[in-house]
Amino acid sequence: MKKLVAYLTTGYPDIEFTKDLISSLKTSVDTLELGVPFSDPVADGEVIEKANGLALKNGVKFADVLNLAESSPIDTYLMGYFNSFYNQKMEILIPELKRRGVEGLIIPDLPYEEALQYRELFNNHSRDLIPFIAPTDSKERISQLLKGDRSRFIYLVAYAGITGSGKTEDLKRVIEDIRTSSTDELYIGFGVNEESAKEKSRDVDGVIVGSAFVKILLDSSISHSEKIVRITKSAEKIKNIINE
Amino acid sequence: MYIPKESKFDPINGHFGIFGGRYVPETLMPILLELDEEYKKIRFDSEFWGEVNSYLKEYVGRPSPLYFSKNISEELGAKVYLKREDLNHTGAHKINNTIAQGLMAKRLGKKRVIAETGAGQHGVATATISALLGLECEIFMGAKDVERQSLNVFRMKLLGAKVHAVTSGSQTLKDAMNDAIRHWVTNARDTFYIIGTVAGPHPYPMMVRDFQAIIGTEAKEQILEKEGRLPDKIIAPIGGGSNAMGIFQPFLEDDEVECIGVEAGGLGLDTDKHGASLEKGRPGVLHGQMSYLLQDDDGQILEAHSISAGLDYPGIGPEHSFHKDNGSIRYDSITDKEALDAFVWLSQKEGIIPAFESSHGIAYLKKIADEIKGKTVIVNLSGRGDKDMVQARELLHFD
Repeated sequence: MKKLVAYLTTGYPDIEFTKDLISSLKTSVDTLELGVPFSDPVADGEVIEKANGLALKNGVKFADVLNLAESSPIDTYLMGYFNSFYNQKMEILIPELKRRGVEGLIIPDLPYEEALQYRELFNNHSRDLIPFIAPTDSKERISQLLKGDRSRFIYLVAYAGITGSGKTEDLKRVIEDIRTSSTDELYIGFGVNEESAKEKSRDVDGVIVGSAFVKILLDSSISHSEKIVRITKSAEKIKNIINE
Repeated sequence: MYIPKESKFDPINGHFGIFGGRYVPETLMPILLELDEEYKKIRFDSEFWGEVNSYLKEYVGRPSPLYFSKNISEELGAKVYLKREDLNHTGAHKINNTIAQGLMAKRLGKKRVIAETGAGQHGVATATISALLGLECEIFMGAKDVERQSLNVFRMKLLGAKVHAVTSGSQTLKDAMNDAIRHWVTNARDTFYIIGTVAGPHPYPMMVRDFQAIIGTEAKEQILEKEGRLPDKIIAPIGGGSNAMGIFQPFLEDDEVECIGVEAGGLGLDTDKHGASLEKGRPGVLHGQMSYLLQDDDGQILEAHSISAGLDYPGIGPEHSFHKDNGSIRYDSITDKEALDAFVWLSQKEGIIPAFESSHGIAYLKKIADEIKGKTVIVNLSGRGDKDMVQARELLHFD
């Protein structure tokens, strides 16, 4: 069965809403990426950037995201930019994640080289730092990045770019190189939606959906409860499509 | 011929102590590693530097003079020299860097370049060398800066560049850099990002410092020729910090010379409207590097403020953070008002109209007037004030 990972920007329209939404997603979503809103999300396109800004305007703090992650009925990772985590002091945060049952971190601006100094910390507390692979990576680099530690999944970036764009790239070579280097599950993210999910999931073990859900979050023409219904339906649909 | 020299402050594995590094999405890592390799090849390569130097001499008009500022010296009872980067082609130090990066882009086979800009000086310098070297050029500039630096926007367009007005966030340099990075990630394979200051992921802080250290290398020769000794102090304004790093670099190992970087004090450091990352910030990660940053308790980046668009940035180059912590450079700040006073002072005393950025360095002469009596001081006059005329006219009300 192929997996579905959902990214949600925490705290928009409000924290209670995010909590209800998570609860509604628990049957269709296998893993949750709970987004820590950041002022300068440079790996994200305008949809997630906007949601980040609105969540911050609502006064969402790191502590709120952590509390929500702890109460989540789905396996949950915190997804955010390194400054948010660094600001919490990594040597305090990582044991705290374990204590609260949060699986680990997904940090798009903390590449392998900068993460090396934290590897032991993650390992000592058996938390995951999800590795990213990009289509610009060579076979040698992919092998270097995936050598050693195992993780719940590998995050394959579907194209050179930012989240939520319509770009596509031929990933055959990259996927082959990843498969020769690691037996961990491989999920693809960036630009995955109801239309693209089938095609994008073809040679991988799961998909990560962010902007497509957040777009519904931002739709001011529908009520909160309607947003939850639509996102849940969309998640169910994607889960079915990738497993057809 | 100018060729950079190794320094005891060169980064180790891309880091200046805890600062610097490469905090970027994985998509960019192979591109940065390739750039690092390429830069290692050319850093001391006489053929590459021969070409750079030829443009710097014939096109930019280097060496820039070290001008003895007689009237100001008399008033202050000190010997004040101005390093005249304002006399460079395009009116600021920025072009020293863009020529070298433009030639690197060509070596790497990239036909498109992008750049962020605050005051517009780096945007103009990038648009200029793009015209010269036949590169396609796109500039990212905060919408607020597009408005207050409209003359530079027109110059960029005239030079054939496309200018994107960035409307997110504070609509200034920080947001321009966010969008430039987004564009870079998207077009990483064929686009070279010409970063305008000693910031961003490694190797940019080291490269840009090397490209700008021609300022200090010339200044050292010139002051030895004129005074037969090294200066007591060197003063330079800092936003990201490239003109300062450029003039300080060749003097950092001379213990008798005190280097002073002047940050944007905005409305005052006791307000939340300033750009003094070193004095009021703490270490964090933004735009690919670890450095001092203006941020709140939760690590959200705060908006900076300065009269000068070029200093209106909540971060600073990582090497400056490193030097702040190890004490090898002294840092202080100048308010908008002090800078504006100095803008008028230099104009009317010496007939030299400085850029608002450079006015911060000039203003610092007055702030430490007692300290510099009888001393020899060099101020890096990093750019000229033509671009600031529209804003100055509104602020000064001479009619």
